[in-house]
Amino acid sequence: MSILVDENTRVVVQGITGREGAFHTEQMLEYGTKVVAGVTPGKGGQSVCGVPVFDTVREAAQATDANTTVLFVPAKFTASGVYEAMDAGLPLILTIAEHVPVHDMMGVYHIAKSIGCRVVGPNSFGVISPGKAKVGFMAHRIFLPGPVGILSRSATNCYETVHMLTSRGIGQSTCVGNGGDMIPGSTFVDILPLFEADEETKAIIMIGEIGGSEEELAAAYIKANVTKPVVALIAGKNAPKGKSMGHAGAIVSADGTGSAQSKETLLREAGVHIAESTVDIVRIVADVL
Amino acid sequence: MDLMEYKAKELFGQYGLPIGEQVVVRDLQQLPQAKELRFPLMVKAQVPVGGRGKAGGIQPAVNEQELEQHAARILGMDIKGHTVKTLLLTRLVDIDSEWYLSILLDRDSKRPVIIFSSQGGMDIEDVARRNPRAISRLMIRSDIGLRKYGAQYLLNKQGIDSAYLPAFWELLQKLYRLFCAYDCTLCEINPVGVLAGGKLAAVDAKVSIDDSALYRHADILAFRDEMENDANVLEARKFNFLYIPCDARGSIAVISNGSGMIMSCIDLLAKNGLNVKAALDLGGGATADRICEAVRIVLSNSDIKALFINIFGGITRCDEVAGGIRRYVEEYDTGKIIVARFEGTNKSQGIEVMDQLGKDYILFADGLYEGVQVLVERRDNP
Repeated sequence: MSILVDENTRVVVQGITGREGAFHTEQMLEYGTKVVAGVTPGKGGQSVCGVPVFDTVREAAQATDANTTVLFVPAKFTASGVYEAMDAGLPLILTIAEHVPVHDMMGVYHIAKSIGCRVVGPNSFGVISPGKAKVGFMAHRIFLPGPVGILSRSATNCYETVHMLTSRGIGQSTCVGNGGDMIPGSTFVDILPLFEADEETKAIIMIGEIGGSEEELAAAYIKANVTKPVVALIAGKNAPKGKSMGHAGAIVSADGTGSAQSKETLLREAGVHIAESTVDIVRIVADVL
Repeated sequence: MDLMEYKAKELFGQYGLPIGEQVVVRDLQQLPQAKELRFPLMVKAQVPVGGRGKAGGIQPAVNEQELEQHAARILGMDIKGHTVKTLLLTRLVDIDSEWYLSILLDRDSKRPVIIFSSQGGMDIEDVARRNPRAISRLMIRSDIGLRKYGAQYLLNKQGIDSAYLPAFWELLQKLYRLFCAYDCTLCEINPVGVLAGGKLAAVDAKVSIDDSALYRHADILAFRDEMENDANVLEARKFNFLYIPCDARGSIAVISNGSGMIMSCIDLLAKNGLNVKAALDLGGGATADRICEAVRIVLSNSDIKALFINIFGGITRCDEVAGGIRRYVEEYDTGKIIVARFEGTNKSQGIEVMDQLGKDYILFADGLYEGVQVLVERRDNP
């Protein structure tokens, strides 16, 4: 097993004829992901790497048995692309672009919840279940199949962690890029139950950062519901206050809300192992496995 | 992006919010324009930070002589590292009482939330700490929207006479319209001045706009560079880099290709006693040209003595990263320490380029921790 994506995932790539879309379609196919259709308005009838292109997501969904979509479209078109995928009935929508307006995401978030569709991202590298499928743009050569499930607000911190895990021979069940924005489609609390239920996952790594209260909510959830060992890293302990650190979501308010300290305290109380750094994560994971 | 009061009030004005009469001046020659306003006036420094009042940046003036004195003193004044370049002059009105009203984007509920208090004019966080009941909150569901019962509820919760309902409802609707139309993360009126006769006035104004949505607000985008007083931030912006000033006492800089990695580097360096003065996020496209520009911008800061470049990319070509460092060395070399770590395709070619540079202060480190270690050793044995 694994979560969200695997060998049965059949992917639509929205924005497939763009530079990024075409490049990563090739990469995903090379990894073995079943990319069944592409969508670019006005380019229906073409093909990219042998994948048929449609004008609309609905046509792509009708012509194929797609069950997932990934958006390689610019931030300003992300919300409308997500709505189109929801309307076409696709249950899993991964969005890659960063700088999606937060008011757009407010709308996307609540509509997704109300119709029971799962959105991951934006500002995300996607989702990979090593050895089975990758949907997104992550550097797949560093991943290795295995027992560790990862959720991360940061792509680079996830890469660093995976790189070190893999060099120690510790593989991953699924790695989920929750994304670095203020309003992610899926928060830690949305993904944790999937890892808890997944038989292949024996330990969970949660890579959080300053800003917001996702980690605090995750702490409460873990305390009540998660039996598997969880290791967490909170990046940004020494980041200056009141400044956004690049990720729109990574900002500590002047009153201290969103600080690394409050997150670590609550996670510790919930029985989560706190790692000081990415190298520390690997040491702890090797111990708890 | 946080707007300064005068810009926020311009937006308030466009949405029919009661800002009263105001004049913006940028030098003393413009003071006569203030004659349109009647005394007494408030002279208010315009800076993108809080605490203006405490710093002496807000003063009342009852006549022309006082106006000139205050204006001359406040223009050019330094408030928390920001030079006052703009003054806002507003008519001083008689206020019976002060309320607090804001609409902000609540990250937990992922909805706009109205915060209202009958105790305005103070730091709202302090009010909340002292007496949580002095503040009422109301969430706005996008599918239902803002409704009049919400205004009634907030007034009742704060024990305010319903006679204020028409004026308060109008104020709230206009503020919410602005909040939605300008992609705001915060619209705050603190204080709402309750005038004799029951009218309401926005005595101060604070507006924060989502940076990611600035592309749909050309009027605000044009104003953005005016807010920034750090030359490095502005220079970096030209190349679509994000330059983040960090610890003022620091002497190290970090360049990386992602926010998470930048935070991890800062944390790891700090843990080893090295304080980071500034960080630069390359965003996408770590090409040789861009790396060279990024290094040039960061090392132009004379306080920065050493640089850690940490690139972990899936598709980033390491020979491009190293090529950028070589170009920097050829064109601008300052003799400052550069430690580079990269991971991605063509790594061995990248290392070869670094080796060929043959400078003992420009080093490759094979890993994040190894890189930090090199910087620690260099500090201890310069």
